[in-house]
Amino acid sequence: MNSDANKTIFSSYNKNVQLFDEVFDSNGVAKNVYQKLLELYGNHSIQDYVQLNNKAKASFFNQGITFQVYDNKMTQEKIFPFDLFPRIIDEGEWEIIEKGAIQRSKALNLFLWDIYHDKKIIKDGIVPLDLISSSANYLHQMIGVDPPGGIYNHISGTDIIKHSDGNYYVLEDNIRCPSGVSYVICNRTALKRALFGVFNHYKTHSVTNYAENLLEILESVKPKGVDIPNCVVLTPGMHNSAFYEHSYLAKAMGVELVEGRDLFVENDFVYMKTIRGPIKVDVIYRRVDDLFIDPLEFKPESALGVPGLFAAYRKGNICLANAPGTGVADDKAIYTYMPQIIKYYLDETPILNNVHTYHCSRPDELNYVLEHIHELVIKPVDEAGGYGISIGNRLTKNEIKVVQQEIKQNPRKYIAQPIMSLSVHPTYIDDSESFEQRHIDLRTFTLLGNEKEFVLKGGLSRVALKRGNLIVNSSQGGGSKDTWVLKK
Amino acid sequence: MSFEYSITYIADNEYENPVENASWQFLIVPENNDTQELIRVDINNSLGVKNEFSENGYGFRTIRINTQENFQKLNFKATFILKKINHNPFREVPVFNIPSNYELVQSLGFRVDFEPFLGQSKFTTLPQSSNNLFVLDPTQSIFDNLQKLNLWVYRFIKFTTGVTHVNTLLDEIIENPKGVCQDFTHLFCALARSNRIPARYVSGYLHQGNGYFGDSQMHAWAEAYVPQMGWVGFDPTNNLLADDNHIKVAHGKDFNDCSPLKGVVYSRGANKTSHSVEVRSQQ
Repeated sequence: MNSDANKTIFSSYNKNVQLFDEVFDSNGVAKNVYQKLLELYGNHSIQDYVQLNNKAKASFFNQGITFQVYDNKMTQEKIFPFDLFPRIIDEGEWEIIEKGAIQRSKALNLFLWDIYHDKKIIKDGIVPLDLISSSANYLHQMIGVDPPGGIYNHISGTDIIKHSDGNYYVLEDNIRCPSGVSYVICNRTALKRALFGVFNHYKTHSVTNYAENLLEILESVKPKGVDIPNCVVLTPGMHNSAFYEHSYLAKAMGVELVEGRDLFVENDFVYMKTIRGPIKVDVIYRRVDDLFIDPLEFKPESALGVPGLFAAYRKGNICLANAPGTGVADDKAIYTYMPQIIKYYLDETPILNNVHTYHCSRPDELNYVLEHIHELVIKPVDEAGGYGISIGNRLTKNEIKVVQQEIKQNPRKYIAQPIMSLSVHPTYIDDSESFEQRHIDLRTFTLLGNEKEFVLKGGLSRVALKRGNLIVNSSQGGGSKDTWVLKK
Repeated sequence: MSFEYSITYIADNEYENPVENASWQFLIVPENNDTQELIRVDINNSLGVKNEFSENGYGFRTIRINTQENFQKLNFKATFILKKINHNPFREVPVFNIPSNYELVQSLGFRVDFEPFLGQSKFTTLPQSSNNLFVLDPTQSIFDNLQKLNLWVYRFIKFTTGVTHVNTLLDEIIENPKGVCQDFTHLFCALARSNRIPARYVSGYLHQGNGYFGDSQMHAWAEAYVPQMGWVGFDPTNNLLADDNHIKVAHGKDFNDCSPLKGVVYSRGANKTSHSVEVRSQQ
């Protein structure tokens, strides 16, 4: 035996006590739920992990589970790096997350109904009018429209982190077709293939029931007068970064995957072209952005949409999930009002914390932000995927000046938050061939239907693979972990 | 008292190469309101496909045509018979409570309710330096002020065809004040809104006297919300209040919401489009 074989998988684990470690407490002792897992993993050598890790990677690539990263000049196809060490959330912690996620989804739905109908929350002075009127995602065409079943945000992706104080905080609510759920399922499959034995020692909730619940949710919001609704998944096409997910969800639900050109509208009903003639469609899980769904109503140059689709929607003949105009509520400036929104509609206190947020649109807060950029995270309110984020303590003096200029020019576009210290989790690192601490977050998936709700027991734990990096988005080079929620 | 109009709308589209797949949406049907009632509609298209009635995103009637057959020419003709009630907008002017009218338009509830018609849309955004081009006189009624604005816009822009196009922004109009009804209306709306008066873009037909055909197009004017009166039509191109010569089709935030013809056409090469409108009164 050489010395390398004796090296354990945790021998070079760099415990930084400043950070909140999900597995080890401050004395370096593994937390209860992880003890069995560490024992089992300890039976393997580093070489085993190198091998397993390579196999897992190949399996992802061979299945075509890839995504594309957009750049100014080119797009790149990548696999989503997968980590062999799962994250475990016990039933007590999970209960808080689940209740908190449902609470937020319901509050957001009520908020959306209100701002497209009576707008009471604005008239009562809780949310400023300007936040709505200046939002590019507020669709005037949706004013007075009742979505089938009264639901706007059928699918919400809530991004949650654990701060160094050990509490969960919500970073953002994604309700414009959030993606990532297919990776949750792929991660589970990959881990079962690589290390199936470890599942025998834990009672972990399944994640494969997501698709059947999604289908039930979609069927629950069928248009009036439809008995058995015909649901489809509408994708922008194979060049979209999340195409794998669109095809997975359609397959797993047993429904058709369509592009805009496969559908047409006649007399305000939507039909799908098939070799056996047109078939009526009742519910569309659309993964096409609002402004591209109907070239006759929104962007005329859109080739992704269906001419007349919005007219069919206004008539109540088709349900779109999520509803058009939902994006106004995941504007990051609206996020900051979530505690008030929850209180206003549900008369409850938020179960999950919000991160304190400074609005650059408010003059006094703008001044604070401009003077404290070095200790804040600056985020554009309307960009997704981690684009445009500046982390103050990583900026040079010149970069700070540039950011200050940008904020001053367009204060409404930016919010700022204290730099949150995301918790860390042991993560297998290729270069060092060992486990190291890496920052993680958690995207949960909440479904809201007509008298039905569901939170996927699991989620996407995203990992920032670069040491010290805080941005976990896949488009910014993040990886992910299988996430176990334990049964009672 | 009422009388009848006969309105004919013709659109001819010609494509260099065969079109395989196309959808058009016409926003040309006069709406029914307090002063007008649609009696008859006749529509013909040369493709022999169905003319489908539907609604746009703001609830105004549209006609949609879809075709999957190859074609190079589309001739479309619609005729509307409309009953118009005689009305003189000046006869309906109340005695204004001026201070309470201004108080109302400043109130949060009012600004929330009229939010879509108070903001700056793409075509009603003024260059920053021009926001104070026209400022209301608070000692006079909102109605009187808007009439002054109507005259101001009428004098500011010189009616000239061929200078502007459907995508002209107000920046260009401020710099070179020449344009057509669409530009007059956008400027009126922008200045009313910058004074916190809700204003909307109206698309419709204008009766200019019998015997006009061909050179007459669809017309645009504005409606502004006047407390104690409701929505009042202002035609800044002609320095008029909208009266029984104005036949309304639709309104919206700006031209984008009211475009008479939108199409999605899959074809290569050039195309030629011509529209003509005739409005006849049959008293």
